[in-house]
Amino acid sequence: MNKIDFLTRRNFIKGLGATGVAFAAPGMANAIVADDSIHWDEQVEMAIIGSGFAGLAAGIEATKHGCKAVTIYEKMAVYGGNSAINGGLFAAPNTPLQKEKGIQDSVDTMVADQLKSGRGVADEKLLRHIASHASDALQMTIDAGAEYYPYLQQLGGHSVPRTYQTKVSCGAGITQPLVRECRKLGVKLQNRSKFEGFILGKDAAVIGIRIRYPYYFEDENSGKLLHIRASKGVLMATGGFAQNVNLRMAQDPTLTAEVGCTNAKGATGEGMLEMFRLGAIPVHLAYIQSGPWASPDEGGFGYVSNYAIFNFPHSIAVNCLTGKRFMNEIADRKTRADAELACRDSAGKPLPPIMITSYAHAKEHPTCENVLKYGVGWKFDDLQSIAKRFNIPLQPLQQQVDEYNAYVKDGEDKQFGKSMAKAKGMYIQAPYTVVRLWPKVHYCQGGVQVNANAEVLDSNTGKAIKGLYAAGEVCGGIHGVSRLGSCAIPECMVMGMTAARSIMGA
Amino acid sequence: MKSLISCSAVMAMLLAFSSAVMAGDTLVSQGKMMGRSYHQQLYTKHQCATCHGVDKPVSRAADDSCLKCHSVDKLAQQTARQGDEQWQNPHNNLHYGKDVPCTECHGEHAVKQPICKDCHTFKFSKFQE
Ligand SMILES: Cc1cc2nc3c(=O)[nH]c(=O)nc-3n(C[C@H](O)[C@H](O)[C@H](O)COP(=O)(O)OP(=O)(O)OC[C@H]3O[C@@H](n4cnc5c(N)ncnc54)[C@H](O)[C@@H]3O)c2cc1C
Repeated sequence: MNKIDFLTRRNFIKGLGATGVAFAAPGMANAIVADDSIHWDEQVEMAIIGSGFAGLAAGIEATKHGCKAVTIYEKMAVYGGNSAINGGLFAAPNTPLQKEKGIQDSVDTMVADQLKSGRGVADEKLLRHIASHASDALQMTIDAGAEYYPYLQQLGGHSVPRTYQTKVSCGAGITQPLVRECRKLGVKLQNRSKFEGFILGKDAAVIGIRIRYPYYFEDENSGKLLHIRASKGVLMATGGFAQNVNLRMAQDPTLTAEVGCTNAKGATGEGMLEMFRLGAIPVHLAYIQSGPWASPDEGGFGYVSNYAIFNFPHSIAVNCLTGKRFMNEIADRKTRADAELACRDSAGKPLPPIMITSYAHAKEHPTCENVLKYGVGWKFDDLQSIAKRFNIPLQPLQQQVDEYNAYVKDGEDKQFGKSMAKAKGMYIQAPYTVVRLWPKVHYCQGGVQVNANAEVLDSNTGKAIKGLYAAGEVCGGIHGVSRLGSCAIPECMVMGMTAARSIMGA
Repeated sequence: MKSLISCSAVMAMLLAFSSAVMAGDTLVSQGKMMGRSYHQQLYTKHQCATCHGVDKPVSRAADDSCLKCHSVDKLAQQTARQGDEQWQNPHNNLHYGKDVPCTECHGEHAVKQPICKDCHTFKFSKFQE
């Protein structure tokens, strides 16, 4: 411990009162230092904060390694955070489905794809660790009862099809089985429990947490503060901060309240901020990803997102002003989001581009029906009607479709270099379905720095903060500038499992 | 003290909301506050404790208090949906199964909306404010 650390801790101790705890300077850290007289309201071996993929996977893995008392504290009324509303897309190399379909893939290939999208600043060691264990994580979900479509998808930036998707096209197809598995194994789940700060031991190790219970979201005075002792470790699995408009605008002023957001309401980031106050290293906070497959015609992730993710490989995205394509439809997310944001009318106002798909191909995915049923996508019999509806110049549009169909035939996209492997024989033909596209704030690449043991590193010492672990979207730097689609589920699950093993000494 | 303050804040909210209640809904005036018409007995007999555990509540009723009388399994049967709408059953839904606390969607003293509405445009024709 260096001098600054030591002095801070001395000040904590000086302030110790009859309650057995000392508060840090007002307005600063919410961490308190415990002394022998502290009253513990609850005692567990492992305390997990947050009930998404990372927290749930950690809970299950901990019991497998002999943990007898593990509780998942969730501040919201419901469990699952972003994970329960996610698209259910799960990338992993060397999986049973790849074997069945004869797809050549490897840990190296997956990591190489991710490094490319990370634009030179991703954490190769962690990506490799995650890719190496991704199929174990997939298996954990299957063992718990998750069900997947019998085919793989090739998402933007992935060089081969390696993405599973749950049969309900939603992360809930994983979180619900994991919640049931947790209950079966005796992992305690407690909702309305908001983490407010750490409790430190005499050697500045994290030995517990303060939980506000019962907490009603956005009523900061609801409930009472409880002291929870965590004898083996605390895992922060509190997710990202895309819903915290001030915090995201501090990183990127363009992400105002007017920009939509796909996240659950609880993605506000206070758990991450508390780790920074304790000394964790902030990494890549400004890399906030917007989803290029979102629609301006519905709330949140909605139906269009999964529809567009499935259809991009065999569809064209068209700028309504020009009638022309303007991007590789399966480039990485940042490339596409930036390209969409550049679609503007002559006055510079946003002019959401459209995606045109052959209905025959679109209807292969079950979300197509919902997109049409709930009026967020439309079916057309000819290009004339599309041009009329979206005020697109017809001739260039007709020309573009013909041109693109020639690329399908030749297997080479001369315009944007899109990989045409997944578009073989899939010509753009009537009848068509159309959705509108506009990016929404979706994912935080940034967060606290962790190592391959899921330990949180201290900015003063560079060493692990004793007793403190983090996993999932709350961590930063793993994916670099832009995360590839379907790579968050393996990351959250593998790092949650890793944290549990570290905590249990396995 | 803190919980008293938040209690009066809740009361103020209730008053503000009450004017928005429409005829035909089951949320009606029960003297000093709004309450469900079918819970009238609890109000005339001042039985706050039935839900809140104490006679003079200063905080919200626990999540499981409705379940003393209502069964989530039965409710799930009553609101079951068919085919591709199977998982739009509010009492057994895709994202949270049967785990959503009742008061997330139903207010006993105030108007609320189903939380599904945060993202979806599903119609719940039987939902009563
Ligand atoms: C709409 C959507 C679709 C997506 N689709 C995909 C996809 O198909 N494939 C993919 O790989 N990735 C996808 N992602 C990204 C991925 O879902 C997330 O990165 C992932 O769910 C994060 O998991 P997590 O466990 O880290 O956090 P979360 O699942 O967000 O869970 C964190 C939990 O912590 C709780 N919490 C926060 N602060 C506190 C506190 N102070 N006290 C107590 N609890 C707290 C939150 O309420 C939340 O429940 C998607 C994301 C979104 C939003």
